[in-house]
Amino acid sequence: MGTMNIETAEGRLEALRRMCTIREFDDTASELFADGEIPGFVHLYIGEEAVAVGACSALEDDDYITSTHRGHGHCIAKGLDPERMMAELLGKRDGYCKGKGGSMHIADVDAGMLGANGIVGAGPPLATGAALGIDQRGEDRVALAFFGDGAVAQGQVHEALNLAATWSLPAVFVIENNQFGEGTPVEEQHHLDNLSETAEAYDIPGITVDGMDVTAVNEAVAEARTRARNGDGPTLVEAVTYRYRGHFEGDPQPYRDEEDVEEWRERDPIETFFQRLRDRGEITEEEFEAMRSEVETTVEEAVEYARDAPEPEPEDAYEDMFADPAPEIAQFAERLRADGGERGGDR
Amino acid sequence: MAQATDQRTATTTFREAIRTALREEMERDDGVFLMGEDVGDYGGVFEVTQGLADEFGEERVRDTPISEAGFVGAGVGAAATGMRPVVEVMFSDFLGVSAEQMLNQMAKMRYMFGGKTDMGITIRTTEGGGMGAASQHSGTLHTWFAHFPGIKAVAPATPEAAKGLLKSAIRSDDPVMFFEDKMIYEREGEMPTDADFTLPIGEASVEREGEDVTVVATQRLVGESLSLADELEGDVSVEVVDPRSLYPLDTDAIVESVEKTGRLVVADESPLSYGTHAEVVARVVESGFFSLDAPPQRVGVPDTHIPFSPPLEDEVLPQAADVRTAIDRVV
Amino acid sequence: MARVGLVANPAAGRDIRRLTGGAVVSDNYAKRRAAASVLEGLSVHPGIEVLVAPDEAGIGEYAVSESPDEVSATLLDVPTHGTREDTRLAAARFRDETDVAVVLGGDGTVRDVVSAVGSVPLVAVSTGTNNVVPDHVDGAVAGVAAAFVADGTVPIEEVAIRHSTVEATIAEPERKRSIRSLATMGVVDRPFVGTRAVLNGEEFVGGVVSRAGPHEIGLSGIVGGVVRHPPDAPGGVGVRLGPPDETPRTVDAVTVPGVLEPVGVADYRLLDDGEEFVFEVETGVVSVDGERDVEVTDAEVAMSPSADGPYVVQVERTLAAAADRGGFDV
Repeated sequence: MGTMNIETAEGRLEALRRMCTIREFDDTASELFADGEIPGFVHLYIGEEAVAVGACSALEDDDYITSTHRGHGHCIAKGLDPERMMAELLGKRDGYCKGKGGSMHIADVDAGMLGANGIVGAGPPLATGAALGIDQRGEDRVALAFFGDGAVAQGQVHEALNLAATWSLPAVFVIENNQFGEGTPVEEQHHLDNLSETAEAYDIPGITVDGMDVTAVNEAVAEARTRARNGDGPTLVEAVTYRYRGHFEGDPQPYRDEEDVEEWRERDPIETFFQRLRDRGEITEEEFEAMRSEVETTVEEAVEYARDAPEPEPEDAYEDMFADPAPEIAQFAERLRADGGERGGDR
Repeated sequence: MAQATDQRTATTTFREAIRTALREEMERDDGVFLMGEDVGDYGGVFEVTQGLADEFGEERVRDTPISEAGFVGAGVGAAATGMRPVVEVMFSDFLGVSAEQMLNQMAKMRYMFGGKTDMGITIRTTEGGGMGAASQHSGTLHTWFAHFPGIKAVAPATPEAAKGLLKSAIRSDDPVMFFEDKMIYEREGEMPTDADFTLPIGEASVEREGEDVTVVATQRLVGESLSLADELEGDVSVEVVDPRSLYPLDTDAIVESVEKTGRLVVADESPLSYGTHAEVVARVVESGFFSLDAPPQRVGVPDTHIPFSPPLEDEVLPQAADVRTAIDRVV
Repeated sequence: MARVGLVANPAAGRDIRRLTGGAVVSDNYAKRRAAASVLEGLSVHPGIEVLVAPDEAGIGEYAVSESPDEVSATLLDVPTHGTREDTRLAAARFRDETDVAVVLGGDGTVRDVVSAVGSVPLVAVSTGTNNVVPDHVDGAVAGVAAAFVADGTVPIEEVAIRHSTVEATIAEPERKRSIRSLATMGVVDRPFVGTRAVLNGEEFVGGVVSRAGPHEIGLSGIVGGVVRHPPDAPGGVGVRLGPPDETPRTVDAVTVPGVLEPVGVADYRLLDDGEEFVFEVETGVVSVDGERDVEVTDAEVAMSPSADGPYVVQVERTLAAAADRGGFDV
């Protein structure tokens, strides 16, 4: 819960700010990608902010999460620093992963963030393992796995659910049903309509909540966390949400109907939450504008930080393979660099 | 290189040596726990973990469903958050079922995350033909994992190596694949009894000194090569080197031996093409080419699967006779 | 020719009370089978035409594909979006084109149908255990009842009740809104609609019910411990609740599915139709049939019973009346 207890007015504003930060961060990432400043693949979380923030606002700071290829929102919701995130997106030495991971692999294990993940469905087994460790050590924490609707078709997700259920582990599984698995609509990938019904096979509760409402996700995950901490085992929460952007930046999106985007935008998680807070007198239009411009500044500063950060040294590529390095790597590298003179491509 | 101060040993089996290492490391560190199919009260399909559930309880010797992707993944997640899981995959042929979690998570997390994640997981699995278990329970797959960056791979041949390497594997903050040749569980040998005894990963052992030919052998073929060397005594002087670790591989020890003998035979039960043999030969050629007096020879499985019927299985499995033929070709 | 509408809500009942209480859900497989069973029941008198609402989970489509030869079933040509609007669109067609409508879902689904179905009588079948209005009855049995009502085997006025409703106006400094519920309207001391379901009885500040009975769950069950009020009786009951040790009377009630707890009753009052029962709410949520629905701040919430509710077919009464008339004879 930390600073984001949405039972309090202060916490609600923080949740709103966190959602705005995700939106601004990813809008900016989109621009930087289009300008060629970010290499590789970028998967944006825009539209789904209520899920990450709703879930993380129901967690304690030392709880673990596993993330997905669409992980920026989870990172920010878990409290990671936008500067080091942006530096990672730009492949800089001061990024969370020293530039070795990029957008798809941002991690901060010390902060409980066990990594964005480029493999669909790989997170739930990791969360099950983290929950197993919590259980073995007798700690008062939980592990939560975010995964998409697409991952529900992956075998290892079901294995993770079965293990966590069988062992009654303190785990929470959150399906982010954003209506598309890569470039194919969800209904073409699953016979199930309510993906939370998957839970029935494992004799655990499965519930479906409005993933565009941060309060709904928060409440569901809070109950799931309580259940996990009471020793009652895992819960499967399906948050029904919508991905505004393509699967990846540059996706031509032949599978999408523009009308649908407009329909979902009417329920925008940030706009609707702001309106609710405004209606209860907790924030004014002016204050919201001010919040947005602060968030803009935060993200601008993150971009500046990232741009100013040093590039990694090319030979850093040979570091971090092992805790106890294999001599082969240094030997091969030495031979490569001795023979090759100036290395590096012509990008 | 044994680090033990107490030099006493006991005659024990390969199986008991593994069990001893597991027991000692579980006593030493509460974060160590075992997990796998039938490892609990059943004691493991090859009885390696027998009795440990009684000693340490079913939470630390945890039976799993038949769910390799799930429980290997759970081991990876537990290791990433500070535990030291020792996961048993009953047969190496089943590793493919859990490959994703090993290849994309276990092997890559530290590197992808910029070095910040420890991955103190050990995966024990069995390899090798010879008991009529047919193609899906007899394979020798260690080359895959020795090849894949980010994973350490060890394949002991003796009780001493089994104990020393398994203890190092469990204590390591890196992922280690521990390959057990199921045909040598009954093999006896001297095992240091000191609970502080370990063997460093990445160091080969000269099991027998010789002058005429170097046989780099692994697993079951170490014992068979040593017997062969005894037989050939007076005729050919055979040096037997057991690399013990497949990755990292102790190039120096192997090259040093070949520099002395000038001849190299590599005996390993994996398939011959693109394999462990090729790696040993390549390193010798790269670093000791001018010491070679004859073309290096490979002894392994001739690129088939392991068949069921005993005459068929005997045909393809490398044995002492094949090592002898290879020696005869170069000496 | 007799025409029957059939609508099923695929999303009904996936709610959080599975965690916080004893709510039971039926999966969409069960709903598909239940929908097919309704058509089976409708075949009791051959020739009935059935308009089946489409839905994103394919419940209606499945029912049509499984429909018995004696029934002429077609899928309604209306768009679906996977929202409650789907139910309303189908109900609007039922209003013009059917004699009776069968609804598979909970109180929320029935309310959505009621908002658009006009005076077409309903056979409401519960697909969970959390509901007040729909009957817990087998789909085929419900289908038989619907057939007897649709083809005039039994007169509607003999076997249906007119269910009262509750209306409310919510006046806040900047705006005014009106909402309606079928059985209960409550004020809940909770900051957000959140997962919508009311999570425990302590959160109820009070409300107005159009029906009350001790066998019911939620606000109508709480009131039912004090006074009984049939759903088709004129008027309703207004109630204010409080902590059990601070109120003159405390009753045990099943406040949410699976939860029995004492609830303090500060006061209650029988209301005539149109008679207001007012709550001043600083912050809270107005609940509709057990679901948190509208977040309010500095609001005056004026609730009142209303007689203009839906005609709800009483399944047991219908079948008995039909049997008396030889409706089951082959």
